[in-house]
Amino acid sequence: MTVVPQGGGDVARGGGSGSLYDVLELILDRGLVIDIFVRVSLVGIEILKIDARVVVASVDTYLRFAEACNRLDLETGRKAPAQLTDIVGDTVESGAKGKSKGALSGAAEAITDSLKAVTGGDSDDEDEEEEEREPVRKRRPAKRASKRTSTRERE
Amino acid sequence: MGVYVYSVTDKQHPLRLDGLRGVGESPGPLRAVTAGSLCAVVSDAPEDLRPKRRDVGAHQEVQERLMADGTVLPLRFGLVAATDDEVRSALEERAEEYTDRLLELAGCAEYNLKVAQDEDSLLRQILAESPPARQLNDDIRNGTADPSAAMRLGELVAQEVQARQEALGAGVVEALRPFARDVDSTQPTGSDFLNVSFLVADDQEEAFLTTELSVAHQLGEGLDFRLNGPLPPYSFV
Repeated sequence: MTVVPQGGGDVARGGGSGSLYDVLELILDRGLVIDIFVRVSLVGIEILKIDARVVVASVDTYLRFAEACNRLDLETGRKAPAQLTDIVGDTVESGAKGKSKGALSGAAEAITDSLKAVTGGDSDDEDEEEEEREPVRKRRPAKRASKRTSTRERE
Repeated sequence: MGVYVYSVTDKQHPLRLDGLRGVGESPGPLRAVTAGSLCAVVSDAPEDLRPKRRDVGAHQEVQERLMADGTVLPLRFGLVAATDDEVRSALEERAEEYTDRLLELAGCAEYNLKVAQDEDSLLRQILAESPPARQLNDDIRNGTADPSAAMRLGELVAQEVQARQEALGAGVVEALRPFARDVDSTQPTGSDFLNVSFLVADDQEEAFLTTELSVAHQLGEGLDFRLNGPLPPYSFV
């Protein structure tokens, strides 16, 4: 397996065991199954847990987001996030050369449309009943420390 | 003791298996079990096989070697048949299905893309673009908010996060879909918000990679794109 080199932004360069990590769920959970064969037990899997992203709309999640927002240093951070709409405009311009022209404008349109749906639309979901579930704690694999516990409301 | 099965290929596949390690602590040699026009690549199964890094890696290496010379149907890790005869009859039983699948997947590889987003930069973006969230956040920081403000802010932000990531994910998939024969989205894990596999034909590979690189580059701020491939088509067998 090769890891495709990436450019730009915070794009990762995988390699070695890091990339095995990223394809692990394909090897363990996808692939052809022949049902008369026996599958070895995956209990006690040593490499890591395949941790499903826990998705809860809970008091815990909300408070965590609120705290994270309160903590942000907005003044120094103001420069950080380029507006997505700017980026899309940029995509259209800079994408207008080379063989991937059509692809890039297509990409830009797709992304613009999706974003319009978000930023322009009303939040119809807002009044939906709040689902409250047990906040679930995940074990994180050591090498991928992450701040996020959950963000989505339901799956 | 049984027979560990790695993959199904066409009988015409050159099967360069030399120098490859199978699964297990002291792995036996890899060999082929042939039935009709199909062929299964197997090795003797070790006692008490566990999904260790070494063994998952060995499984994957076999697929990659085979993939270099032809089309392969990779099995899921950990499938063990009782005997070679059982492998043979499994191939015979579904011969037509496997043959068709091999034809459909000829000249294609899987690319898996995972995207994670830096939470702080996303939250900054939301506060900058959502006046109600900004107001609530300011009130809380100034100590002028009522006690329920944190909950309302959190809920608002959670909804924004979800909507933005879904839109971003959908946009990335739509940008790449024209270069893929098939697309398979799965539940992201960890801090990823997108986990999607593309089945890409050889003649589209360059356009796919160029576009992916451009999308990653353009949206790169605060985002972590991890593209792996070419992989055996685990998600499309």
